[in-house]
Amino acid sequence: MPYRDRVRAELELAGLRRSFGSVVALDNLSFSVPSGQVVGFLGPNGAGKTTAMRAIFGLTDLDGGSVRWRGQSIGAEERRRFGYMPEERGLYPSMAVGEQIEYLGRLHGLSRSQAANSVRSWLERLDIGDRAASKVESLSHGNQQRVQLAAALVHDPEVLILDEPLAGLDPSGIDAIGAVLVERARTGCCVLFSSHQLDLVEDLCEAVTIIDHGRLVATGTVDELASSGPRRLAVRVEGDRDGAWAAAIPGARVSQVQGGEVRLVLESTTDSDTVLAAAQSAGRVIEFVFDRRRLSEVFREATAP
Amino acid sequence: MKAIPYAIFAALVVFAISRRLRRRRDQEKAGPPTRRDYLGSLLGHTGLVAQREVRERLRGRFFRVITLVLLAVVAAAIVIPTLHSGSKSSQTLGVVGTASPALRREVDRLARNESLTVHLVTVADLETARLQLSSGRLDLVINGTTSILVNKPISATDISAGAQLARSLAATLGVQQTFRAAGLSATQIAQITQAKALPIRSVQPESNRSTAQSTSLIGVILVFVMLTQYLTWTLMGVMEEKASRVVEVLLAAVKPIDLLGGKLLGIGLVALFQAGLVVAFALILAKAVGSDLLHGTAPLVVVATLIWLVLGYAFYSWVYAAAGSLTERQDQVQSLALPLSVPIIFGYIISLTAAGSGNASVLVKILAFLPPTAPFAVPTWVALGGIAWWELVFSAAISVVSTFGIARVAAAIYRRAVLRAGGRVRLRSLLAG
Repeated sequence: MPYRDRVRAELELAGLRRSFGSVVALDNLSFSVPSGQVVGFLGPNGAGKTTAMRAIFGLTDLDGGSVRWRGQSIGAEERRRFGYMPEERGLYPSMAVGEQIEYLGRLHGLSRSQAANSVRSWLERLDIGDRAASKVESLSHGNQQRVQLAAALVHDPEVLILDEPLAGLDPSGIDAIGAVLVERARTGCCVLFSSHQLDLVEDLCEAVTIIDHGRLVATGTVDELASSGPRRLAVRVEGDRDGAWAAAIPGARVSQVQGGEVRLVLESTTDSDTVLAAAQSAGRVIEFVFDRRRLSEVFREATAP
Repeated sequence: MKAIPYAIFAALVVFAISRRLRRRRDQEKAGPPTRRDYLGSLLGHTGLVAQREVRERLRGRFFRVITLVLLAVVAAAIVIPTLHSGSKSSQTLGVVGTASPALRREVDRLARNESLTVHLVTVADLETARLQLSSGRLDLVINGTTSILVNKPISATDISAGAQLARSLAATLGVQQTFRAAGLSATQIAQITQAKALPIRSVQPESNRSTAQSTSLIGVILVFVMLTQYLTWTLMGVMEEKASRVVEVLLAAVKPIDLLGGKLLGIGLVALFQAGLVVAFALILAKAVGSDLLHGTAPLVVVATLIWLVLGYAFYSWVYAAAGSLTERQDQVQSLALPLSVPIIFGYIISLTAAGSGNASVLVKILAFLPPTAPFAVPTWVALGGIAWWELVFSAAISVVSTFGIARVAAAIYRRAVLRAGGRVRLRSLLAG
């Protein structure tokens, strides 16, 4: 049974259409996000990811389609229970961190004491508890990112929509924010986040949705997508870095050359012995394994022109 | 001077307010935020947004500086004229030789006309009189029937009570001397000098027009300064929220109309607070120094100024907010603000000219019914007299209705433009979707 039919969709984007003049940003885009999972939202630049995320919050006028939460059309009241981290970070530069997050918590419906407690809790959780009184503009990029995440989480949202939350972070920042996303999903939250860091998405997400030119091009669990498609081989020849030997093998296409490892996609009729012979002609073969698709390969193949 | 304690008191109040604000800010830095949100409880999201706006604006150094400048300007406008009209309420006058009872009566009468109390002393000779004038012990000396001596020359433009007393003494004593030389008896001279002048009666009813005019001049200038200040805040505030992208986070939780309405309400409350502070300060100071700036019809002018300041802010704030949402760059803000300020400057100049001339022209009367210029024209017309109550109500109604209309259009522009990043958003592109 396909992934989209198997999971219980809580947040549904149905037939979204949006054009800006002659540019089509969303072209009948439909997909759903289940609760309890971290879902990666992928697509090339200009694919329509940000427009789709904005549509969830009613931040862009749609030409058609709808966004539903648990089967119902969503309005301002439902959206107040969602958390959002936009691609371009948005905070008041000269306002104190704690005060600012408390304010956003109040706008999301928390009482004053609830907001104050939540601010303390999230700042501690994100290792910036000692910066509550600092102005946002005085923080490093990484800490500003953490503050932005705290702002999205302060009201304990049922849906978390994050546009490039990991961009520009150092490894410790990525680990901290990644751990929070997984933790939120485990508590039953819908987590959808976009990223161009496909290795990280592969590590963090149970499922991914890939769009291109405003249309859905692939969706499923990472495992399903990785194990689908034609056979592929990972071959490493001692001393070879560029994989030139693999360029002209009939029925095999080079999908990636990285660190001396050549990854090939085989047509159904291609014999792996042909590939092995070609590799051996270039030198001593030290790796020759059938492998799953990497997410980066899934992405490239799904968005290839 | 009896104004000094009041001025010190006013300065202490301002100092205490700024200190309290600073202490509150320090407390917030030191610990978790624990503020009360009165507006939030009352008005929901709009109130929360307004409350943040009020807090941030009151904390800003700019607000404190501009408030102090306004208070200083108002204080100067009230105190300086009273300083000019008389530095002392009592004076010590010297008489070389002896002071006859008739002279004492005449001096007392003339001093009362100038609201002065005089203390008359005799001086042995002219040299002693000169010395006592130089040392400041005497304000004026009557040198028999020959001359009046003062320490410094009295300029033609000096209208202080002391100068007026010197002039009237010189004129009266000179006339009496002439009468005596003509052979009139003391009784005849007294009859002539105490003769009552004929009353001057006007066809138009008496009014305290000049006082109200002065009040309206100050009012028009204050409205201009405050409107310009708060509308610039609105423009810059919306632009900065767009530039910092915080507006996207806010709009994910709050409707655009609530966000914009809260922002405008917050800045408006700060404006009202500042205007109230300035007016209260002006009233206290005017009372303390005995200024006539708030007498006669002037209180009506003050009330009209405050009402049309609020109406003017309400009207223009939506326009400026919509303009602020069209750009995210400071240099583009200048080019947006310039055309918007044209009706403000036009209304200001026309009203200022009318208030100065004392004549409510037809143009002022027309401008009083146009919402962009009414905040200047209406208080001026009230000060100059002749506006009927229904004209006031009609003008206010036009402003309120226009504000609702402009708010709808501005909110639509804001909603569409504020999330559009990049260069300046053209209105045509908004209409195209």
